[in-house]
Amino acid sequence: MDGSSLKSAQLLELMRQHLATDAGKELTKKVGLVYQLNIAPKKIGVDEEIFVVDLKKGEVTKGPYQGKPDATFSFTDNDFIGIATGKTNPQIAFIRGAIKIKGSINAAQKFTPDIFPKPAKL
Amino acid sequence: MALRHLVTGQNNCTPDGASSSNPLNALANAFLGQSSKAQSIKELPGSVSVPSTSDFSTPAPISNIPGAENEFKQDQRPLARGADFIRGGPANDWIESFRPPGVPQLGVEAQFRDFEQIYNNTGTTFQPPLDGPPQRVLSGVLHSFLTSGPAGVPFQPLPVPAALGLSESDKQCIRDRSCIMARHIFSDQPEEYIQAQVNTLLHSLDIDNRMRGPMHGHYPELQEYWNQSQSSMGPAPMHNAADKWITEFDKQNNNPENWANSFEQQYGPNGWASEFEQHQSQMAMGPMGGANMGNLAAMEQSRMLAQTLASNNDPKFQNSKFFQFVSKMSRGELIIEDNQVKEGSASQSSGWADEFQTQYNANANSWADQFEHEELSHGADKWVSEFSSQHNQGALNENWVDEFSKLNVTDEWAEEFSGGGFGESSADPWVDEFQEHMSSFKQSSGTSRGVYVFSENNPYVGHPNPMQEGQELFRKGLLSEAVLALEAEVLKNPDNAEGWRLLGVTHAENDDDQQAIAAMMRALEANPTNLEILLALGVSHTNELEQGEALRYLSRWLQNHPKYGGLVPPQSTDSPYGPDVVRLFNEAAQMSPEDADVHIVLGVLYNLSREYDKAIASFKTALQLKPQDYSLWNKLGATQANSIQSADAILAYQQALDLKPNYVRAWANMGISYANQGLYEDSIRYYVRAVAMNPKADNAWQYLRISLSNASRADMIAACDARNLDALQKEFPL
Repeated sequence: MDGSSLKSAQLLELMRQHLATDAGKELTKKVGLVYQLNIAPKKIGVDEEIFVVDLKKGEVTKGPYQGKPDATFSFTDNDFIGIATGKTNPQIAFIRGAIKIKGSINAAQKFTPDIFPKPAKL
Repeated sequence: MALRHLVTGQNNCTPDGASSSNPLNALANAFLGQSSKAQSIKELPGSVSVPSTSDFSTPAPISNIPGAENEFKQDQRPLARGADFIRGGPANDWIESFRPPGVPQLGVEAQFRDFEQIYNNTGTTFQPPLDGPPQRVLSGVLHSFLTSGPAGVPFQPLPVPAALGLSESDKQCIRDRSCIMARHIFSDQPEEYIQAQVNTLLHSLDIDNRMRGPMHGHYPELQEYWNQSQSSMGPAPMHNAADKWITEFDKQNNNPENWANSFEQQYGPNGWASEFEQHQSQMAMGPMGGANMGNLAAMEQSRMLAQTLASNNDPKFQNSKFFQFVSKMSRGELIIEDNQVKEGSASQSSGWADEFQTQYNANANSWADQFEHEELSHGADKWVSEFSSQHNQGALNENWVDEFSKLNVTDEWAEEFSGGGFGESSADPWVDEFQEHMSSFKQSSGTSRGVYVFSENNPYVGHPNPMQEGQELFRKGLLSEAVLALEAEVLKNPDNAEGWRLLGVTHAENDDDQQAIAAMMRALEANPTNLEILLALGVSHTNELEQGEALRYLSRWLQNHPKYGGLVPPQSTDSPYGPDVVRLFNEAAQMSPEDADVHIVLGVLYNLSREYDKAIASFKTALQLKPQDYSLWNKLGATQANSIQSADAILAYQQALDLKPNYVRAWANMGISYANQGLYEDSIRYYVRAVAMNPKADNAWQYLRISLSNASRADMIAACDARNLDALQKEFPL
């Protein structure tokens, strides 16, 4: 996650650490899916950075997934932050064209705000 | 008569300027006291060079009300404004749309003459002639009704010749739409007043108002939503409400074409959409030129989209509803949405907003600003809300997309569209084009940040010393009250850096970083080198995960420090490099290890670079120097929480809350810590406490909702969505 100027990278770093906690382990048990996130600074598909949120192993890594993720999301930095913090409804974001999804729709539907830890504020 | 009231009534309402007992006028005066924009507009050549035909000697109080300014100018120069007026605002078009069937549409020239006649004939009385063709009578009456809004004087019943020849459906239409319009015109007035006004109007026109009430007849669904939006304090649930709304909307519009058709019926195929556009262009060339450029650009963009779509030769596509829809949108609807999306990114002036709404608005005539403004304070009075129950700011630009996606689900293109959304089949140029357009919306909504949104009906406006009051309230920990008092102060003294700064601090403690940033930016304008302001901006941007911005402000902190400024190399620091800044601060810390502030900034910087252990060490050092600083305890706690030491974090938050029991941010952070540990039931109690203290804490509401769903308390989600504090506090006492 280092070296990325995306806001999402900060959230994903928090996610990475979160997955090591008891609550995080609970989450991997509950979800058990692998998501690949293609996050673009401004426009979907342009200058994307790729992250993998592996809720099978409980890892967050940078770079494409080796293998086939259960679902791949493409969105912009702001939209991902919006979804992860509960500001944006993923379904509406999808209808709006703010998310592109590849892969299993069932897996995609488990990608909800509550799997992400929330950043505390200074 | 109504226009006469516009002049004299204003004077009566404001006998002595800003200290008026009329809060609306006081507010407007306070706004305009600081609004250099409004003043410069008057000085622009376009408006000055026009010869005044008016002998009124009291233009000042009128031009103090932005909405009224237009009205007045119309009277001042009937010739110059007449044409604008005819083609002008949607409000006027609204009047025109009541043209009874059978009355032939007069050409623009003819209408022009009509109005010229009206204004010339009536001379000083300004009473629209109430004879002649029914259309003109109707226009006159409705126009009086409209002007009574900005004027702040009750609409006076006008004697109208009995036979207007209105059909039942016309009456129905007038009845319904005057109700809606009245809400906008009198949006500052109580419900009874609005109804009384509408009744007066309807009575004047001899329309039976049996179906009295907020909305009538065939809009029961809208009425329901209207009421909902009135009762809920703010953003309603995206999820449920959206679904519900869609269902209801669908019910009403079971034929997907209905919506579009009725739109066309009401406004004509080239209805007010194009008039609105025209008006916008005129406005852009007129006095408001500069301010309007942003809006024009947006329109240009939507026109380009329409053109791109039109250039597709595929006849199937040309006939598709999507295309028709987009072109329609690009002419009118989309522009409005555009305004909305571009909340305040420039002070765009929209025609009808000018007509009757600007009295609330501080330095922007922007419709969007207005919307956001209302949104935050007492739900939405705007017509957009009549269509939507999604109040979330982030979701504003989704409304029409929802409508449109739902409306057209049965259509072929919708499948294409979702296909494009799903897979890689977005090869069709229009899909890309469309998405590009959408993302440009999002970007512009991102730039809407930084515009301060004032509360409405602020009881402290007119207070003799709001600054002192605000400081007192802040000290007592009554943060939401302090916000109001300080807003009154900065309305009164827009250059009071300390007022803005304290307002920003209060928002930050109230867990609203966006408002905090907006206030701090104003503070920084007034005092560009204040260290506290720079630090506060650095912290708030850090919270919003905006690293670059945060780093810039923190670097400026060092630059402007009397003692450490010399450490900074003279080159510009437009995009400082994190490690460099950290190094400089470490040097500063070596210079004076007793300076708690340096350690605080270092702690924030290490948060940015996610070196949480170092951040924690810095904050702890600072706390040894400043153990009573509750915000420092909260910073320590938040850093610990973000490095997954939630148990420690809770101890630190507790220290902060012992020192400042009403520290909303710390309560919300407590909730976050419990939620991140999977202790959702506990987190709910803290979130509820936070939102109870600041019902505008949107983040906390969102997190509360997530925790409710995680804790399998779906039964309380409705209460959360309705922002029903009583129910939540009862269910989850702390």
